[in-house]
Amino acid sequence: MSPRGFALCVICALAGCAHSSMVLLPDEDGGHGQVAILESGGKPTTAIVSEANSRASLGGAPSIKPLGNLKPEEAVLVNSLPPPAKSFTLYFLEGTTDMTPESAPVLEQIRAEIAKRPGAEVQVTGHTDTVGSSADNDALSQKRAEEILNLLASKGFDRTIMSAVGRGERELKVPTADNVESPANRRVEVIVR
Amino acid sequence: MVVRSLLLALSVGVIATSAQAEIARVKSASGIAVIQRGTARIPAATGAELQAGDYLETGKTGRISLTFIDNTRFAVGPNSRVAVSKFEYDRTRQQGSFITQVDRGSLAVVSGKIAKSGRDAMKVRTPNSLLGVRGTRFIVEVPK
Repeated sequence: MSPRGFALCVICALAGCAHSSMVLLPDEDGGHGQVAILESGGKPTTAIVSEANSRASLGGAPSIKPLGNLKPEEAVLVNSLPPPAKSFTLYFLEGTTDMTPESAPVLEQIRAEIAKRPGAEVQVTGHTDTVGSSADNDALSQKRAEEILNLLASKGFDRTIMSAVGRGERELKVPTADNVESPANRRVEVIVR
Repeated sequence: MVVRSLLLALSVGVIATSAQAEIARVKSASGIAVIQRGTARIPAATGAELQAGDYLETGKTGRISLTFIDNTRFAVGPNSRVAVSKFEYDRTRQQGSFITQVDRGSLAVVSGKIAKSGRDAMKVRTPNSLLGVRGTRFIVEVPK
């Protein structure tokens, strides 16, 4: 470090003007993403934090170093993150709001999941197969999601924490060509956050 | 004139209502933990809803954790001030744009669907930097 840099650091340490920083962590599933430092100290940069468990200082020329250990307060912060969302799939007899026998116990799993999450929020998501136009399937899946939301409300689920979303044919459970009937793709996914 | 002002007030009211969509919900909070919405200061209690433009503020022992409707998760540490300056999300297409501003304190993030929807669709701004989030878990710290 140059004498001038050292002097600046001492001044900063005394004045308490520490630089901001960031820590890239591994994802919960073991992989990791990246964080691009688009600007630092008002200047554009091309720096990318791409190694999990690295610490980057921000504000001047970005410096990226291996993390070592998380500081205790950082560990507490990471541990206070909410749990990941959990997804459940329900199937219905065609054209009805009658659940298949396999799906009936899933309803109770959803109820239990909501009960153990304070401040829970629930997204009821409709999915179609690829029969028909994608615009029609958007509308159909939205209508289906609303129908099932009402069904859940009639079974004692709190309406104020639920919302309905139609995903149309964008997220096939079983990949198919266009215009293929698929009971496996016609489903409702309930996401509990 | 009175009628016109009333109509204007009504139409403004309608616009405001449509913009007040829920974007996240508080999962836990402790110590001094507040959602600031315009001039209103709302306790960040468990189950409280967040809207785009809100600030999250914590005191010396305060913490807030929350989950967004695109599955993004936040943990706000003590002595922090964090704004969700922009949150736009198309729930059908799972695409959007998300800008968070960390004025001070600490924020842990697990990114969600918006970060996956396009390069740097999720950004985090600190007083001296701008970060582009490319699908990951990370911490940002801004000392006083």
